[in-house]
Amino acid sequence: MTETIFGLVTQYGAYVIFASAFLSCLALPIPTSLMMLTGGAFVASGDLTFWTVGLAAYLGAVLGDQAGFFIGRTGGSALVDRLARSPARATVLSRARALVNQRGGMGVFLSTWALAPLGPWVNFVAGATGLSWRRFTIADVLGETVWVTLYVGLGYVFMDQVATVAEIMSDIIGLLVSLTVAATMALWLRGVLRAKARKGEDTPGKASAA
Amino acid sequence: MLAKLIAHVKRLWSAAPVATAILALALAASLFFVAHGAFLWLGRPPIAEREQPVAAWMTPRYVARSWHVPREVVMQGLGMTRPLPDGPMNLAEIAERKGVPVDTVIQDLESAIAAFRASKAPPRPEPTQ
Repeated sequence: MTETIFGLVTQYGAYVIFASAFLSCLALPIPTSLMMLTGGAFVASGDLTFWTVGLAAYLGAVLGDQAGFFIGRTGGSALVDRLARSPARATVLSRARALVNQRGGMGVFLSTWALAPLGPWVNFVAGATGLSWRRFTIADVLGETVWVTLYVGLGYVFMDQVATVAEIMSDIIGLLVSLTVAATMALWLRGVLRAKARKGEDTPGKASAA
Repeated sequence: MLAKLIAHVKRLWSAAPVATAILALALAASLFFVAHGAFLWLGRPPIAEREQPVAAWMTPRYVARSWHVPREVVMQGLGMTRPLPDGPMNLAEIAERKGVPVDTVIQDLESAIAAFRASKAPPRPEPTQ
């Protein structure tokens, strides 16, 4: 696997890095992190320059994210609009939209690097729920800067241990994603328990029975 | 303590089984990632053993840097006098260009590196102090 990636990078250089960064932002299962680490290793050896590798990965990622956002905006918002036909759902949706617009920037920022596996889905959702394009783009551009610098930098430093570093990084990212999922579920459970407690207060007979 | 925890989990489960199940899975996955990552990090080979065997995908520069030998040694080992014309090339491409099997190129390169190291490092059977 690693050797195939190395072979592709030596053969096609920055183009293959650009293409894989672009496609992986559209949820295609491509090992772009490994690709960028490899690019970093070849920057260290002097075969490629930091600017070509960094710029290729960066442009690919930002354009890929933009594509995902606009797919979400055109395809996803039609779906959201259909859901909003019922007035009850419309209230919930408008509240969700406000929340996304308020806090969505941070979500997009983190989803480009620390929570990279969620990235493509966050792009679709951000587009579908109407996060403003400007906010999306600012968060995205900042996040991808971190992503590209981190991976190309690690590839540069650990040039002869790229495969091990790639595995360790995927463990770290996996850990961050699973902790995020756990935290989300904990918040959900807290909400459910609170709602239950409130219900219990409304009907004291039930609460004492429980 | 344990009984309390079990009671709490039961309460969560009855309140929202799906969220509880996902929470448990996510916590289990977190533990797995920590264990796997720590195992890899601690099991890294020590620096001296890290040298990767020369392989077809490597470029001459990569070999030079990875094995800590001057680039000229690698170029001599490849039987090349001038840097390659168009961008990075790996050993497989160089072999193809030369019209020889890639294994020959790798063997030549490895023996060139070994020869360089033998000439560079005087035999040191005992530490000096």
